[in-house]
Amino acid sequence: MATIKCTSCNAPLAEPGATEFKCPDCGEMIYRCARCRKQSVKYTCPKCGFQGL
Amino acid sequence: MTDNELGIELNEPLVSVEEYLAAGVHIGTQQKDNDMKDFIYRVRSDGLYIIDIRKTDERIKQVAKFLARYEPAKIFVVTSRQYGQYPAQKFADTIGALSHVGRFIPGTLTNPKLPKYVEPSVVIVTDPIGDAQVITEAVQSGMPVIALCDINNRTNNVDLVIPTNNKGRKALSMVYFLLTKEFLRQKGIVSAMTVEDFESEF
Repeated sequence: MATIKCTSCNAPLAEPGATEFKCPDCGEMIYRCARCRKQSVKYTCPKCGFQGL
Repeated sequence: MTDNELGIELNEPLVSVEEYLAAGVHIGTQQKDNDMKDFIYRVRSDGLYIIDIRKTDERIKQVAKFLARYEPAKIFVVTSRQYGQYPAQKFADTIGALSHVGRFIPGTLTNPKLPKYVEPSVVIVTDPIGDAQVITEAVQSGMPVIALCDINNRTNNVDLVIPTNNKGRKALSMVYFLLTKEFLRQKGIVSAMTVEDFESEF
């Protein structure tokens, strides 16, 4: 089974506090780990290049 | 050539630049947080940071599109800020979302034993400082968080920022009105509402 990884840092989404949602622009799934959320790390949509935060 | 005081031109705006400026959506704070530096247009001579309304306009459209993918009953609108209560409640009532104005009771998102316990899929907060408890609980529950952020706000645990003045009565009314209008447009509903419908009297 493929592990879901954070869109920003590529870390596996193992710990609580992570989230997933669709890209506001194109609807591609975006995953954010708890650490990236806490540290306000920007994310970029792999499909359309939308820069989030 | 633009004739507004900031010299900003918007590409297909939701409302005109003049209306944004009249509502004070561009007024930031005199304190800056580095998290919000991308949304600063310029610094006034008195040290007040001006918000880039081009980004505000773009973000309102993106957030409305984002919210339109969720079932309205799974959207949770929260505000503890006095001036945000009326427009936030109006926004939630119009689109059919859940709302919580005033003091947020801890456990609303995490304790199923509470009578007011709700299980939304996405949370919108008006001020990340005042609504810090909601953000903490949304993170614990793994929900995405959308926040209306001013220049002095930190964006920890926020997934999508709407850069705006989140302290002014008219600014909050304008932002929630535009979110409603754009959300309904995404759903294929034409609304006859005006920004005055979102303005509280007090």
